[in-house]
Amino acid sequence: METIEIKLKNLTKVFQAKNKEETVAVKDFDITIPAGKLVGLLGPSGCGKSTTLYMISGLLKPTQGRIFFGDTDVTDVAPEKRGIGLVFQNYALYPHMTVKQNIMFPLENIKMEKEKALERAYFYARLVGIDHLMNRKPVQLSGGQQQRVAIARALVKEPRVLLLDEPLSNLDARLRLQTREEIKRIQKETGITTIFVTHDQEEAMSISDEIVLMREGIMQQKGAPQQVYDEPGNLFVAKFLGSPPINLFEGEIKDERVMVGDAQLGRVEGKKDQDVIIGVRPEGFKIVERSSLKVKVDYVETIGRDTTLIIEKPVDPTITEHSPYIDEDHQQENDHVEDDMAVDEDMQRLQEEGSIEETAPEKKGTFRAIVDADHRIQPGDEIKLAVKPHKMFLFDKETGELV
Amino acid sequence: MLEDRHDFKAWLYLLPALILLIVFTFYPIINTFMIVFMVDYDFLYGDYTGWTLTGNIQAVLGHRQFWPAIRNTVLIAFVSVPLSVIISLFIAVWLNSIKKLQGAFQTIFFLPYVTNAIAVGLAFAVIFNRDYGLFNYMLSLFGIDPINWVAPGSPWRFSMIALLVFITWNGLAFKIMVFLSGLQSIDKQYYDAARIDSASRSRIFRKITVPLLSPMIAFITITSFIGAFKEYTAIVGMFGEQMGYRGQLITIVGLVYEALGEPYVAGSVSLAASAAIVLFFMTLLLTIFNMWVSKKRVHY
Amino acid sequence: MSTQNNETTYDTRRQIIFKRVMRYTFVYGILTFFALLVIIPFYWMILTSLMTPDKIASDIPIMFLRFRDMQFGNYYEAMFAPEAPDFLRYMGNTVLVAAISTVGTIITTILSAFAFARLQFRFKELFFLLLIATMMIPGEMFVITNFITVSRFGWVEMVDQQYYHAVLAMTLPFMTSIFYIFFLRQTFKQIPNELYYAAKVDGTKDFQYLWKIMVPIARPTIITILILNAMGTWNAYIWPNLVSTRPAYNLVSNGLREFATAIEFLPQEEYIGQQMAAAFVITFPILVVFFLLKKHIMRGVSRSGIKG
Repeated sequence: METIEIKLKNLTKVFQAKNKEETVAVKDFDITIPAGKLVGLLGPSGCGKSTTLYMISGLLKPTQGRIFFGDTDVTDVAPEKRGIGLVFQNYALYPHMTVKQNIMFPLENIKMEKEKALERAYFYARLVGIDHLMNRKPVQLSGGQQQRVAIARALVKEPRVLLLDEPLSNLDARLRLQTREEIKRIQKETGITTIFVTHDQEEAMSISDEIVLMREGIMQQKGAPQQVYDEPGNLFVAKFLGSPPINLFEGEIKDERVMVGDAQLGRVEGKKDQDVIIGVRPEGFKIVERSSLKVKVDYVETIGRDTTLIIEKPVDPTITEHSPYIDEDHQQENDHVEDDMAVDEDMQRLQEEGSIEETAPEKKGTFRAIVDADHRIQPGDEIKLAVKPHKMFLFDKETGELV
Repeated sequence: MLEDRHDFKAWLYLLPALILLIVFTFYPIINTFMIVFMVDYDFLYGDYTGWTLTGNIQAVLGHRQFWPAIRNTVLIAFVSVPLSVIISLFIAVWLNSIKKLQGAFQTIFFLPYVTNAIAVGLAFAVIFNRDYGLFNYMLSLFGIDPINWVAPGSPWRFSMIALLVFITWNGLAFKIMVFLSGLQSIDKQYYDAARIDSASRSRIFRKITVPLLSPMIAFITITSFIGAFKEYTAIVGMFGEQMGYRGQLITIVGLVYEALGEPYVAGSVSLAASAAIVLFFMTLLLTIFNMWVSKKRVHY
Repeated sequence: MSTQNNETTYDTRRQIIFKRVMRYTFVYGILTFFALLVIIPFYWMILTSLMTPDKIASDIPIMFLRFRDMQFGNYYEAMFAPEAPDFLRYMGNTVLVAAISTVGTIITTILSAFAFARLQFRFKELFFLLLIATMMIPGEMFVITNFITVSRFGWVEMVDQQYYHAVLAMTLPFMTSIFYIFFLRQTFKQIPNELYYAAKVDGTKDFQYLWKIMVPIARPTIITILILNAMGTWNAYIWPNLVSTRPAYNLVSNGLREFATAIEFLPQEEYIGQQMAAAFVITFPILVVFFLLKKHIMRGVSRSGIKG
């Protein structure tokens, strides 16, 4: 199986509703997906990630921009001619066909010889570990098994690119963990260039070679998961990655010191005085003897390995309302935006809902600190905290960009 | 691709149905309307001698069987529909309350729906036979003398009663089936809640079942009325094509087919069309009335 | 164990059982009564078809027949006697007409339902609305012009109507049905879009997708449509009566009605046995189909009531 890289150049998708209203689902998307890698396309619902996937598959036509598979421009090539395999969120197995018939179906379309097709079907069934279920109907399978059938069906044509649209979101938590390892393994074994769409940051980070973050149709950042986590380019990325999420404080830079109210969190060099939003990862705190950050512990969550402290913020914490970049929160529900591709107006409506959808933000007024379980801390204790410098990020209050 | 329109392809898929619909559905609506205004329309060549605004309508209104037809049609509708709706609603509720034999009863009650109205009509005619019919025998047990229900010479009122029995009987099956499926789709929680509130069975029926089922009752009632306005085959089945002794059971649709049965007679096709238009407006009126009522009454 | 002393009085166990028994006795009793009312005409049809004229004319109706008293000759007379109507032929005609119109209907219905459920095209909503509006118009409006139309096609010649003319006239106007198009479209729409996308990615053409994926998935609905349509033809009376000009082209209902009309002024009891035999012969296939495919038929009917 040859591996190819995928290049998207200024990819833009505009949906037009009946009333001529336009929604920009994807805007000027520019990216190269390296050959043989597994790339996670990550973002909240309505961010345009599924639209991007569908454009790569050829099911949707870009409004602008080009798509390259290797050196070939495939923008105007029909889906079936692109050499892609696509796995859907709901698997899209044909319910009246057996597993075997489902897997063979793509091969029948290209009129492959029956013997060869059967051999191929069994090869991929074995690869995903469902070769003992070949004569069952989809309804007789568990969610995880259906998922594997869908992957086998996508792989059986030996595509150059494998596209996965939220493949794990219909599975329960335990299966999800298991299946994502499975997908990683299959991808490694076949070496196929794979794009994986998800709204679940943990999922994306755990299996991707690279992740690409999107928001409202615009790419935010790309890179290796750890790198993006450690060096978020803006407030959105910082907020979207990490569980529990990053803590945000409204503060200021004053004389190269980072201040929240009267407490100093750290120092920065060469930055002018300004109001900033300070993000600190929960694991970025440590308990120290001396610090100006004196806090009272509200709750203590013990999970054994470490301890999470829920702490009242030192200053009145009303930042969330003002900044346009802060009310973004993790979208944990299914990204059903692109479900109904055929109906533009539906798409638009959902898109709008998606972008205005807000889950309740972290309870205001508190933040989380994850500390070593060795510290025996009781609710009500007063402690002093210091911030690890590389776990703290400063963002512009207006734009959300890294300062 | 996906979001593209496929005008040509779509209309190609629609084409077979479209051609048939144009020829046998859309064109007839217009044409039948036009025939109403044509004088001496010749059905084979489409010739006519002139236009008339109300001539054919007047002809049908002045037809000696028009008012009897209206009377019969309205009577059939207003007796058989309420009767069959009420009976079938009760049967459906009872049927829904049992488990054993439910399927068997359901099958039996459904039989009239699938069977041929002509064949069953003939059986009814035998049952209502004056001399050896089962019905008169039953009446004789109560000391009632034999009545001529069906045969030539039967008085209108007796023929009508026999007909109404048959039509009501014939209309039960569909309604029972629809009501039963409606009842089965009502959330059981309502009943559990009502039971806990110690509502009596009749109260549950009046305060929960009927209101929740009311959209369906309204729908069934209106479609049944429209169906009853078009009653024809059942009458032919039981009483023959001349629609009862001396045509005394004529209906609007009967009038249409009677006229259409002799298309070569000048003006008869126009008469048929005019009668059909009358029926159309009766139906329309009823639909509008129903919409108006259901807006006020139906609980959702 | 009595709780009479309490403020609220509870039924004793015995009372509860008694009430329940009373209730079920009432419900089953009344259901049985109505079931009998439904069955009696069918029973009477069969009973009469097995009686000799003197039994038919008996003063006190005979309600049961012993096997040795059954007069199967009526069936022979009705079906094969030279002077009796040719019911075998009518059944043949009906089967042919039902088959042609059903096949035609299902093809046009599947194609149109697919277009409405799956394709985007100009004037889709408008056309759809137009179809719904036509369903409100009484069928007689169509019948009049359709009779004129098939007459002008030369299919209703009074003198020498050809068999294929009669068959065409009886089938062609019924080869599509707006109601069935809606019915099937509903089912088609329930098929997830992803199936279509998946098929597209695999290079399936629209037509292939329709036949290989949608039709098999919608099979229960399609079977329901097939049965309802075929049964409709079997029971059709008005239209065949209008367009067939020769007795030999009769469908079963018309043949049966003509038989009844022919004997109207003859001594009835002589022929009623045969008539009921004929009536049962044409009812019987429908009953068989019904019992075999009960689920499909009832499903279709319940669904048609809910659409309102």
